[in-house]
Amino acid sequence: MLYDLRHSDLRVRWLVTLLLATLGTSYLFGAWMVALYAGFSPHKVADTYGPAGEAMMAMQMPPETTVVTERPVSMAEMGEEMHHVDKDLLVQDTHVHMPMYAVIAAGLSLIVLGLPLSRSMGLAIIALLFAAPWLDFAGMWLTKLASPRFAIVTLAGGWAMALGYTIVAVIATYQMWWRKS
Amino acid sequence: MKTIMLSAVAAALLHITPTVILVKRQDAVSHLLPGADQFAAREVHVSSADSRRIHDAVGWEPPDGMITFYIGKRQDQVTGALMFMRVDCQHGPLELAVGFDSRGTVRGVEVTKATVEMKPWVLEALRAGLTDAYRGLAVDQPPAGAEKVKPKIGAMPGYMAELIDKGVMHANAAYRLFYVRR
Repeated sequence: MLYDLRHSDLRVRWLVTLLLATLGTSYLFGAWMVALYAGFSPHKVADTYGPAGEAMMAMQMPPETTVVTERPVSMAEMGEEMHHVDKDLLVQDTHVHMPMYAVIAAGLSLIVLGLPLSRSMGLAIIALLFAAPWLDFAGMWLTKLASPRFAIVTLAGGWAMALGYTIVAVIATYQMWWRKS
Repeated sequence: MKTIMLSAVAAALLHITPTVILVKRQDAVSHLLPGADQFAAREVHVSSADSRRIHDAVGWEPPDGMITFYIGKRQDQVTGALMFMRVDCQHGPLELAVGFDSRGTVRGVEVTKATVEMKPWVLEALRAGLTDAYRGLAVDQPPAGAEKVKPKIGAMPGYMAELIDKGVMHANAAYRLFYVRR
């Protein structure tokens, strides 16, 4: 343990608690946003990140010749927008989100360093905190470029993120405020 | 610790602001396909060769190789077509609705989405009459809306006008190359 959060100044423990509460709230809204725009099933995630997700006929590879299809649509269908992340948007999403995920993982890891955990447990939790965003984005890219079956990797990344946060929040809160000795 | 704080600040500054709807898609359809009572989606799955062709023409490729034209009809007669076009920049995405009349010229352009940060810049460009410049534009003519409004607006609204010009140029190229192709 590089430092001990349990016996740290009240202000430090208050800061860590508020950081965890704020991150937890943002994670809840993150889950809500995922439900709105992508969904929690592999099928929905594959529709969002897979190739040509806005079309019912998903094509993995560009056709040899340009293919045109036409179908009737209602005004409501034109107004409805299925959230589909194409390659350009995924480049932008990756660029924007990865640094923030790294900062969050680093912040939570700093909290882990101040908890009375074994070296191997500390390493495992830190690995989980950083593996989650990597899995999340690796899943999105693999779903787009390789196969919609990789949507499961993105889901695993999302759940890993929630798990990592929950472990750190529960242990830190318990250690800082209840188990002081 | 200083590095972490600087990284956090940098990450926060780099974060793109949320998207806001400026015009609902359904309203854009009503404005740009007036009188239509039936609609069809013409989906064009673009081949690699055609993707290269449009890229060589305007420096843009359809996202995921797919272009969708929404066609308006009245009594089975085509009244026009419309496409939604996204333009990306470092401040986030813009979405345009570009409508074409039955003669194949631009009927109108609406900016349907922007980000919170970009919204005031886009509105300033629109108030200066940006989209008036596109009405009646032939699909092989380069859009010059930005050039017309730039003397009247600030630098960032001028940049937004350039992006909107670019989106119209991409839509025109898509229409020219793929709309009539069956």
